[in-house]
Amino acid sequence: MSDQSFADKAVMDFPRRDAHDKVTGRTRFTVDIGGSEVLHAALLRSDHASARIIKLDVEPARKMPGVRAIATGSDVPGRYGIGIADYTLLAKDVVRYHGEPIAAIAADTLEQARAALDAIELELEPLPASLTMADSLAENATLVHPDWQDYEVLFEGGVRGGNIAWEATVERGDTDAAFAREDVTIVEGFYEVGRQSHVPFEPRAAVASFEDGRYHIHASTQVPWTVRTVTARVLGVPESHVRVTVPTVGGGFGLKFDASIEPCAAVLARMTGRPVSIINSRREEQMTCLSRENAEIRIRSAVTSEGEIVGREATVLMDCGAYGGEQVFLTTMTTHTLGGNYKLGAVRICSRAVYTNTPPNGAFRACNGVYNTFALERHTDEIADAIGMDRMEFRRRHVLGDQDISATGQVYDGDVLAPMLERMEVLRAKSGSRKDLAGNRFYGEATTVGTWLIFVGPSAATVNLNYDGSATLVTTGVELGQGTMMQALPQIVAANLGIAPEDVIVKTADTDAAGRDLGVGGGRTTVSIGAASEAACTVVRDKLLGVASEILQTPKKDLVLARGRIEIKGRPGSGTTIQQVVAEAESRFGPISGSGSFTTPPFECMPGCTAGHFIDAIEPVFAVHNCELAIDPDTGKVDILAYRVVQDVGRALNPRAIHGQIQGGVVQGFGYALHEEITINETGAFDQTGFENYLLPLATDSIPVEFDLYEGAPAVGPFGTKGAGEIPILNVAAAIGCAVANATGKQVSSMPLTPPKIAALIDDCNPPLQHDHISPVWSENTIERK
Amino acid sequence: MTTSLMINGEERSLTCDPRTPLVDVLRNELRLTGTRNVCREGYCGACSVHVDGKPMSSCLLPVGTLEGRDIVTIEGISQGDKLDVIQQAFIDLDVIQCGMCFPGMVMTLRPFLRDNPSPSRDAVKFALVGNVCRCTGYERIIDAVMSVVDATEVTE
Amino acid sequence: MADLPNRLERPLSVAAAIAALSGKTNKVVPVAGATWIMRAGSRGEKIDGTFVDLSAIPDLSDIDVAKDKVSIGAMATQDVIAKGLAGHADMAALMMATGYTANPAIRRAATIGGNICTADFAASDIVPALLALDAEVEIVSPDGTSLMSMAEFLSTRRSLGRAVLVTRIVIPRRLQASTHSRITLRKAGDYPVANLSAAITVAEDRTIRTAAVAVGGVEPVAKRWTGFENALIGRNLESGEFREIAGNYTDEFEGRDDTGAPGWYRVRLLPALADRAFRFLTKSTA
Repeated sequence: MSDQSFADKAVMDFPRRDAHDKVTGRTRFTVDIGGSEVLHAALLRSDHASARIIKLDVEPARKMPGVRAIATGSDVPGRYGIGIADYTLLAKDVVRYHGEPIAAIAADTLEQARAALDAIELELEPLPASLTMADSLAENATLVHPDWQDYEVLFEGGVRGGNIAWEATVERGDTDAAFAREDVTIVEGFYEVGRQSHVPFEPRAAVASFEDGRYHIHASTQVPWTVRTVTARVLGVPESHVRVTVPTVGGGFGLKFDASIEPCAAVLARMTGRPVSIINSRREEQMTCLSRENAEIRIRSAVTSEGEIVGREATVLMDCGAYGGEQVFLTTMTTHTLGGNYKLGAVRICSRAVYTNTPPNGAFRACNGVYNTFALERHTDEIADAIGMDRMEFRRRHVLGDQDISATGQVYDGDVLAPMLERMEVLRAKSGSRKDLAGNRFYGEATTVGTWLIFVGPSAATVNLNYDGSATLVTTGVELGQGTMMQALPQIVAANLGIAPEDVIVKTADTDAAGRDLGVGGGRTTVSIGAASEAACTVVRDKLLGVASEILQTPKKDLVLARGRIEIKGRPGSGTTIQQVVAEAESRFGPISGSGSFTTPPFECMPGCTAGHFIDAIEPVFAVHNCELAIDPDTGKVDILAYRVVQDVGRALNPRAIHGQIQGGVVQGFGYALHEEITINETGAFDQTGFENYLLPLATDSIPVEFDLYEGAPAVGPFGTKGAGEIPILNVAAAIGCAVANATGKQVSSMPLTPPKIAALIDDCNPPLQHDHISPVWSENTIERK
Repeated sequence: MTTSLMINGEERSLTCDPRTPLVDVLRNELRLTGTRNVCREGYCGACSVHVDGKPMSSCLLPVGTLEGRDIVTIEGISQGDKLDVIQQAFIDLDVIQCGMCFPGMVMTLRPFLRDNPSPSRDAVKFALVGNVCRCTGYERIIDAVMSVVDATEVTE
Repeated sequence: MADLPNRLERPLSVAAAIAALSGKTNKVVPVAGATWIMRAGSRGEKIDGTFVDLSAIPDLSDIDVAKDKVSIGAMATQDVIAKGLAGHADMAALMMATGYTANPAIRRAATIGGNICTADFAASDIVPALLALDAEVEIVSPDGTSLMSMAEFLSTRRSLGRAVLVTRIVIPRRLQASTHSRITLRKAGDYPVANLSAAITVAEDRTIRTAAVAVGGVEPVAKRWTGFENALIGRNLESGEFREIAGNYTDEFEGRDDTGAPGWYRVRLLPALADRAFRFLTKSTA
């Protein structure tokens, strides 16, 4: 637990130390590692969504200029995955999606490697393909993985079958009885969302070498330990034979929360004895992006005239693409996101990851939460309308509060959402309505709430107190741009050791140097690595104070660490410097260092109500968003007039950096809600292949986000902090979707709301959503369990 | 075929395929990696360089067409520790995240502010529509630009 | 690598360029601003063939604004054209088309000649502007120099053969005012989903004497909107109702479906585009 007396020292707008090199172009990302010794690799990829490999002859390619090595499926035989090992690195026998890699060639130059790809003799015999979840769930559907039962299960408890890669369910209370009550109104809604591509400016990239019998991979990744594990599995070597280091990463947003091309670079490095670089081209990066998944959602609620939700059932289909990947895990999240926000009587939710012959999906900032919040908040507006209650009033009355229970029966501490809604009213009143800016256009406004969780799990940290009085923090945390490694972590260590954050050196991630860590994502870094760092500091401080106590002839409890000194409480300037104590310690027992660790605290849910969940109970984190917008009826274009955020941050360690996360996350949400669309054509490929047709928000599409940081909610993180980078995007689609519904008076059930979609909405010519593959009978959407 | 041109004040002779986009020559042959290779379509602006003083997307420039031209990259912008005011403003206002778009932002903004010393906030945004940032949501970048503009106005 | 063919030629005259384009057995690609050819990779195509770089030919990028006509060299870039035409109300369509298309860096690179020669590029802002302004295209071939109307150029540009160079665009100054409206999916920075250029002459009593309206983006190639044009003749500019009139003639178009926007949506935008254009013209001719 944090010592709260340090907390005030930790709070500051500490600037980033990587800023200078980033604005001058000196920063070297993985894609910048080069030199004449480095070979360059290119991947042969499938141009079919589903096909049998009839012939794969790489021999002609070996004779091409500059070619040094070629890897195919038999060189990387091990399967990997999340929950189930269904993933192959290079396809063997069959290909399951357009863009699936089949072979990798390393050559002296990238042009030579690409030219050699054309010399590979590949024959594919097309097989039937399931390109949609409806295809995959149809009777007699083609199985994407006919051998699914033979795959190794890596996490027990999931229910699987056919094209259902994973199913997670929660059932709490008697839902049938709730829906049978005579005093309830039953409200039902269908929702559908498309994929979102992360588009980190640095694509997935790796440079591997084979040194002293071990693989060393420089990877642009959020998860060095996952890259290590996956590489070892795929190559069939002990994990200890793989070292992963991570230079500065040029954006991730969740895309780099899984291994992808890194083991290819590793195997080619072993074959050639040279460093091998693999960098996805932008086109490859777009067309094989482990996107935020497309999803189809059905929610049904039984609500009393007062708005009490006595029963709720939901089915969520998540397209995992050709391999399970993150979606297997994310089935868990539905319970906490769609099952969040409101007090529920009886509840049952089924969340299914569905295989299709499309590029595999992955994790993207507030993964799963973004679309489930959209669906839930649209559904909530429909409930309020159905019972004739004001939409805000409904939320004020029914959001989760102190001692309410979650979907899994976990008891939440503290009133957080209701006071956050009040703070939003204040923020809204402060800046005033922008309705006059709408002119002749349609005007709409909405306020939405959202629930996310702090993704915790294991982290490790070591703090070395250096001879000069500075400290070195060693973790496998990664700097993606979010700033945690530059700001929050040195602030936390500095506050704990009474030194300046400038004097905390933060080592870049190296799996040979620090203990295991789950990775940077889910808003966990400040919380989990921060807590491990604090624990390490506690050890260091204890050693330091032990020595100082003897030097100063003062009990430890009367000593404080401040300004690089160890002082006697209440007497600033007294005592001695940390440097002197370190020197003394060295002469007695050696240098001072300490290690600490952290893992998921024992949150409790109601036993027996969940199945197939990776996480049953959570630390929730909440957000309230408000949006005012105008719609041009001529074009269907949305103009955001105002955007406001009240965010539960626990404690804001670096308010300026959090502002950056909120502004950036919200604008990414504008993209998701309004511009960014992925469509899959009849060949199973994305139509959007680059920046020309995958439309990211530009400078003219953003507005300054008004925000208020809500502090004081219960939190396990150091100094009561919660991760702030993940959730700014959480409610954006919800707030925009509800505001568009408000502006047009129409049913808004799908995302993204591109100008053509809104024009069709205004004209009443959007085809109704077809969800025949989701049964109105909830239990028919689950695999029958024993 | 040899292409001779000036890069950051130095005369260079290049013998690569003259159709090669300038960004690849800068990054791979001259190892000037501050010019970022992101979209390769002229939309992201991360590969912006100055050609005879004008910001251009170096992914769209076949190097053989640049005979005799004067190229300045981000590495040629700051002299030692002396940064351009816009670079300094980005640092001072803590607007950077992953940082890959920032060299291109600097290359676009420097000539823009030279030609438009007192732009409105909107004008800055329109000047930046060819510089995409995936992390920051732009507004704090614009804040930093406006802080430079406002400061210039005060000193003048 | 000594055996590689020369991959880029830089002719110093139009004649040398024609020779470079015609004399070869290998593939040759005329390169103007290079903004289309250099994006081949992102379209899934490969760059091959010898580039014939036209940027070293003198006098091919000048802009001459005379009393009776405007003459623009084919290698003039869009930013330069937009600046050069500023303040000329009759040229506003081309000024706006070159001043707002794509993004600033592309406008600094892309040329007017390259733009109109790229037959696969349906979202050109320049092509409808030139159609509405009755522009002529100067073409040089081994047989000599000729002028061709924009409409004729568009219908023959795929079959002109490779030994042909567009050298100038000549726009007669017969019209009073013009404008260009465009709708993009984002606020700026895009090529248009649909656009419309209009050029008119107006009588003293504010009735429209001549009207030329061209629409781009909606179909694979931009074209004149004749039904709407005819309906405009004799109407008083102050009477408005352009949206309603335009709405009667949208069946002249069959919208193209493409990534980002379906055909019906492009057609749906036409009345609004017409309304914006004529409201602008009402003001600019007042």
